[in-house]
Amino acid sequence: MVMVFVAAAIAMLIAMIPAGIVLYRGDLMSAVVGYEFVTAVVVMVLALLAQGFQRPSLFELPVVLAMLMFGGGLVFVRALERWL
Amino acid sequence: MAREVVAAVLLALAVLVVLTASVGVLVMRDACQKLHFVTPAALVGPFLVVLAIFVQAGFYENTGESLLALLFMVIAGPFLSHATIRAIRVRETGDWRLGEHPGQGGRAPAGEKEQ
Repeated sequence: MVMVFVAAAIAMLIAMIPAGIVLYRGDLMSAVVGYEFVTAVVVMVLALLAQGFQRPSLFELPVVLAMLMFGGGLVFVRALERWL
Repeated sequence: MAREVVAAVLLALAVLVVLTASVGVLVMRDACQKLHFVTPAALVGPFLVVLAIFVQAGFYENTGESLLALLFMVIAGPFLSHATIRAIRVRETGDWRLGEHPGQGGRAPAGEKEQ
């Protein structure tokens, strides 16, 4: 059963490839959208890996990343809106 | 056994949602359209993953933290989408407000002072 969570995490990492292409090759604002997408998926991947490897302490990582996604994302888009 | 099957189905759904949304981000034309496909990955996917974790492991302190992460994402997602679409509009038209003419955005006509 543990393998199902790890397999789902790997599948999600593979599913990020199209968004990664946008992040790498798209225009600036499309790349920002790709970045937000990738961040949201990585939160899920971290939760899946914590459950998959049975490491309860690792459940803190997705919480921290979800918080940083909010703060960092807002600062990032405001900087793009005003200065970049 | 039933729990494991249900968790596996939920995880498969989550992966399907993320994959579909990722392809949507790739094939849509501009950033505004791409932004629509972030929401399924930022809300529906995490909800299914957290549900799968609860079904498989039950609710206790550590799995509860994944619920906290989901809560942050549910709160942050709409704010972040709004800020992003606002930044896109400001970069395209100079202002986020609706102008008098479609496509003009909020930019004041030449010689007219913005309030």
